[in-house]
Amino acid sequence: MIYFALSKGRLAAESAALLKKCGVDASVLESDTRKLVLTSADGQYGFFLVKPSDVPTYVEAGVADLGVVGKDTLMEENKDLYEMLDLRLGECRLCLAGFPARKDALTNPHLRVATKYVNTARRVFEERGEEIEIIPLHGSIELAPVTGLADVIFDVVQTGSTLKANGLAVLEEVFAGITARLVANKVSLKLKSEEILPLIGKLKEVIA
Amino acid sequence: MTIRKLPAGVQDMLPEESRCLTVLRERLGRVFALNGYDTVASASLEYYDTYSDIRNALPQERMFKLTDTDGKLLVLRPDATLAISRIAATKLACGKARLCYFTTKWDLQEAGRLSSREIEQAGVERLGEEGAFSDAQTIAFSIECLKETGLRDFIIDIGHVGYFKGVLEACGLSEADEERVRAYINRKDGLNAERVLKRAGAATDALNTVLALPALYGGAEILDRAERLTDSAVACEAVARLKEIYALLCDMGYEKYVCFDLGTVRRLSYYSGMVFEGLAKGLGASVLSGGRYDNLADDFGKHVPAVGFALGLKRILIALERQGNLPPAEPLEAVIVCERGAESAAYRELLRLAADGKRVRLSAEYGRAAARAAKGEAERVLFVTGKGIEEI
Repeated sequence: MIYFALSKGRLAAESAALLKKCGVDASVLESDTRKLVLTSADGQYGFFLVKPSDVPTYVEAGVADLGVVGKDTLMEENKDLYEMLDLRLGECRLCLAGFPARKDALTNPHLRVATKYVNTARRVFEERGEEIEIIPLHGSIELAPVTGLADVIFDVVQTGSTLKANGLAVLEEVFAGITARLVANKVSLKLKSEEILPLIGKLKEVIA
Repeated sequence: MTIRKLPAGVQDMLPEESRCLTVLRERLGRVFALNGYDTVASASLEYYDTYSDIRNALPQERMFKLTDTDGKLLVLRPDATLAISRIAATKLACGKARLCYFTTKWDLQEAGRLSSREIEQAGVERLGEEGAFSDAQTIAFSIECLKETGLRDFIIDIGHVGYFKGVLEACGLSEADEERVRAYINRKDGLNAERVLKRAGAATDALNTVLALPALYGGAEILDRAERLTDSAVACEAVARLKEIYALLCDMGYEKYVCFDLGTVRRLSYYSGMVFEGLAKGLGASVLSGGRYDNLADDFGKHVPAVGFALGLKRILIALERQGNLPPAEPLEAVIVCERGAESAAYRELLRLAADGKRVRLSAEYGRAAARAAKGEAERVLFVTGKGIEEI
């Protein structure tokens, strides 16, 4: 039996569609249920629907063998696991954004950066040798520069329409190609290779 | 109010778990001794410099530090192998030894991860040995040790740091970029590895070989594939060594316990040759890890080629529990209760039974009622009076 940890929401539905194309009976994911552990009708697969940032935790611990989660979350959580495939779902970019007129603010020694990607932002600026103040937020990040809480934001940008509607713009694209990834537990990949490897092979074909 | 609490990352071990750990240590201690290993114990406190002024320095943020009375910085044993390497280079006359240890290693990592900060380890180090036969014996012995712990479903995943080094040499990266690529390859994250390699201007051939690394895992067949992928003499030598080790392991009958992964390159890299990890069903992390570290002792003033491995005892216990195979509890065979005045007779009975290898407890309470109340605590309840011993 293979256990999947999937990010609740749209990504779970898209992952389910992808898995179905690979012959995984994932129809149980379409049912409207409050159950936390879902098992496929053939009993071969189990699914946990969890908060996206918890997917790496479940996979690192080996509670789930495989997981589907965004690259942004993977970078932020920085867990010890294998990143097997780029599923090319939900593509976006991780950007620094703010008021276009204040682009020079990016080199400000006391730049205040609002973000929900606290660890990633810290790493990015550490590598550049710049000291910044991080303001951790959990949502509506765009509000921070608008209200003066922060100088810039570090966040995912998909279409950029929220930025635009608030008079903000991308100042710098830090990571492009942020997509959903298939991740695997390090032990499961070796001990359950007979079940996992064929599935990964099929997924590769489907997304090619 | 912290007087009743423990800091993060450490645990008290209650009787049930402590008993299992003791049984585990006994089982391993017996196989270590039977295979000719002598025990050593390194000091718990060492100078910080021992671990920071060497080529393969441990990350400073992962060591527990204390200050000595003279102001010198000390650390709580951060690594067992390094300590034994120091002992071998500075204190063992001939530089050749087979040593084993049971120890605690301290890791100042963020609490709440899979590992705790106080890590119970058992391990062996074979000092002053070279060659594939020594490597194969070490892996074979690690398999025997895991069997001895009671684990059933496990595999030894073998790699070689030389392959990665050889393949990466051809890319001509800076040290910082090499470390970045290592971290990405270790996660099988080819996309980011490619980004770094391209930015550094690596040649296409070299780049393609590095990007093939994450998929280089599986049975012994991947060794042929690995050989075809590269011209690097260092890398080819590594594959040749692994093939030699594999042939020996097959001859010894361990074929079904091993697999290979040339894309796993851990950070703590005092390893110089083959490396391996034990993976057990029921646990998402390795229960054993080891490898060859021929140049580690050079920093301590002597060249001592060596190979060894360590077992994570708490992780093995978790895996045993999930596999439903924890060591069974030894039942109490008898409780002895006596009446007033018969204390010495009761105590003599306790000594007699214990000398006989029986697990017995002498109650501190008196009287027949206490004896009746003790029923159920052990297989037998013995009531000692002035006249003799009766079973309740």
